[in-house]
Amino acid sequence: MLFNSLTFVVFFAVVVTFYWSIRSWNARKNLLVIASYIFYGAWNPPFAALLFSTTAMDFWLGARIARAQGPRSRKLWLVGSVAMNLSMLGFFKYGNFLLENFQWLIARLGVIYQPPHLDILLPVGISFYTFHSLSYTLDIYRGVLQPTKSLRDFVLAVSFFPQLVAGPIVRAGDFLPQLVRAPGLRVGQFLWGLLLMTLGLFEKIVLADTMLSGAADRIFTYPGPLIALDSWLGVIAFAGQIFFDFAGYSICAIGAALCLGFHLKDNFRFPYAAIGFSDFWRRWHISLSTFLRDYLYIPLGGNQVRPFRAALNLVIVMFLGGLWHGAAWTFVVWGLLHGSYLVIERVIRIFFEEKAWANNFGTRFLAGAATYGAVCIAWVFFRASDFTVASRMLSGMFGRHASGDAILSTREMLQVTIVTLCMLLVHTILRDSNIETAVTRLPRWTVTGAWALMACAIILTQGSSNAFIYFQF
Amino acid sequence: MPSSTSNFKRILRLPRLFFRTPTREESVHGGPPLEFERPIPALPWRGMTVIVVLLVCAATFAWELYARSIGYTPTLNDTEDLWAQVRRRIQPESLVIVGDSRPLFDLDLDELEKGLGKRPIQIALAGSCAYPVLADLVNDDKFHGTVICSVVPGMFFVPGGPLLETSEKALKRYRTQTVAQRASHHLGMFLEERIAFLKQEDLTLERLLAKVPIPNRPYAQVPPTFPPDFQTVDHERRMRMIEKCAQPGELQTRIQQIWLPLFTPPPPPSYVPKEVLMERMGKAVEARFRDTVATVNKLRARGGKIVFVRFPHSGELKRLEDRLSPREKTWDPLIKSTVAPGIYYSDFPELSGFTCPEWSHLSAGDSVEFTKRLVPHLRTGLGM
Repeated sequence: MLFNSLTFVVFFAVVVTFYWSIRSWNARKNLLVIASYIFYGAWNPPFAALLFSTTAMDFWLGARIARAQGPRSRKLWLVGSVAMNLSMLGFFKYGNFLLENFQWLIARLGVIYQPPHLDILLPVGISFYTFHSLSYTLDIYRGVLQPTKSLRDFVLAVSFFPQLVAGPIVRAGDFLPQLVRAPGLRVGQFLWGLLLMTLGLFEKIVLADTMLSGAADRIFTYPGPLIALDSWLGVIAFAGQIFFDFAGYSICAIGAALCLGFHLKDNFRFPYAAIGFSDFWRRWHISLSTFLRDYLYIPLGGNQVRPFRAALNLVIVMFLGGLWHGAAWTFVVWGLLHGSYLVIERVIRIFFEEKAWANNFGTRFLAGAATYGAVCIAWVFFRASDFTVASRMLSGMFGRHASGDAILSTREMLQVTIVTLCMLLVHTILRDSNIETAVTRLPRWTVTGAWALMACAIILTQGSSNAFIYFQF
Repeated sequence: MPSSTSNFKRILRLPRLFFRTPTREESVHGGPPLEFERPIPALPWRGMTVIVVLLVCAATFAWELYARSIGYTPTLNDTEDLWAQVRRRIQPESLVIVGDSRPLFDLDLDELEKGLGKRPIQIALAGSCAYPVLADLVNDDKFHGTVICSVVPGMFFVPGGPLLETSEKALKRYRTQTVAQRASHHLGMFLEERIAFLKQEDLTLERLLAKVPIPNRPYAQVPPTFPPDFQTVDHERRMRMIEKCAQPGELQTRIQQIWLPLFTPPPPPSYVPKEVLMERMGKAVEARFRDTVATVNKLRARGGKIVFVRFPHSGELKRLEDRLSPREKTWDPLIKSTVAPGIYYSDFPELSGFTCPEWSHLSAGDSVEFTKRLVPHLRTGLGM
């Protein structure tokens, strides 16, 4: 079920009505579990069983880790949990990718092997809910979370429908404490949740799907050479599209959770105003970057090791972060590019951070622009279907197709330019703030007018229920 | 380490140009002391919500009135979901219509039922190449029914591009449609039958923006414009031309002028030499001929029947189609190679006297009469 569908509107209205009508907290939690499984099963009912089995296994393994006597047995149970989750992810998401690469590798050794193509259907959101579930056993192992005694509560923590299929990646440790005491219905919180849902849908339906996706799709699927202007506009359009698509989903999720009395953390903080790549990753898909930081980067030694090893840790983390997004080498290159950016930034900081000019407005502006440009270049690998497309795009962007084709209409160019400039302006203004503060301090008539305008634009756009980009991950 | 107060001040650092200074009461308040508690802006939420609801209702109502005032009426959108819903009704012995937009407008399902004894199922797709849908139908081993297949040569033999994608997208939706998508489709139909501005091909923000007259770069390869809505659609996907289009006027002329570039093949791409392109196209057309013969034979082997139909078209569009895909190079070889019955409208005086108001489709009234006259030819062709 998509947030931008009529089914969800009716589903959400029914769930919210029943939820706040029921007095028993246990009954409300049961209702949320049922609703979440209906929400997920509406895509493909058998996958709801897969979701439940992963959750139940981690619930049991979490208890075993907590009860284990020695560090060795604790570690063994954790390895069991990690292996179970990653093998599930590996089979469904990376099965064919691994087979194809195995075939390629042994062909280099002179062995011709034709593996069968596994007709595997990817369970929607498997990367997200696997991490939701995995965070539970990892946190119990780290000693920062006590296992819950209620399977129902853990099932709800993993499957809570607002964040189930496309994040944010909510750790069990952040969600389970909210299940202890029933939240009361607070009108302000409920209506703020509705406003956030309107904002999220506006970002997805109007800005991502209507204003930007057309230009991005046309440029990335055009089989011929393109001039620099069109190539750059295509990439910039995709940069905006993926932000509005994913941030829109996250804001919808946060809003929907608020309407039900739950609090999810921010997943985006105006990332295109980032100055530097470490700043970018503190602002982009925060729930993933903090997950990788806490469960991978720090256990690898983080930056408490020799500089070369710390740099290697960064690259390893970003390599796996890239692979998490999709079973293709283009995603790996995207991750490695970001890993390289982070390493380069670290080196630059060592030499120049203390200089007086490094913190003046001009330098910060240039660094911000360079960050945005480099992030856009990395997006080429993220969006391109293969390396041929990526190479053609980069050649176009760097002026190698001076006599290439121009395919964007003036309207598309204006849409991309205006939306992108507005987005960058808003990110720059709010980079040291947050949306709640901004809304509090805006005149009330502005907030009311903007809310009404966004709702009208959503109705006018008549969304065609396009799936969110991050559903495929 | 900065104190929480200094953090709070930093968060509130916003340009004075856009934001006023907050009062003490307006500062963001928190709830219970949970680490993950989100702040809720302290605003008069009830009043604001009432105003938003009133504004949105008023704007929606005004937009609906405007849409009706310029001639729109509530009708279904011909979406992939509607197509998938109709496609699912096909039974092994069904009478099925496949093709492009012409059978959608030109065939009356009631008259066909009267004449052929079965209610036909309409799965023709506007702006599509019919072949993938035909092949999918025949590849269903249970199917041994009857197919009426419309052929517009420029669309049926197209080697790739948007016309094929239209068919493939619809087939994909049919194969992968989820429970949630079906539910959304039924809710959508409920609204579309009541609200005039719900026109996905015409009154969406995207289409409205596309209507803004902005000149393009002279060398830009911009896709052609698509026609505005000029039809009504029912649950069985029977399309009827609206009266405003059937009568001479601005809408009719505009659509006529849109067909010409749409039916004209795009210039050869700069990145493929013309000779190579022509060779590829030639091979692709030959392959389509071969595949169609194989598909027809497969259907016949199971006891199924097929009849090809060329529907009326008029004016400049007819001249363009005749020039780009002459009958002797397209229709005639198709009928000869498949050894299937074919009905070319201009071969029969009783079918050739119709004029398409916008050059491509018959008016709602003419479509009923045309179907009545077509039925005896279909019966003959199908050996009924």
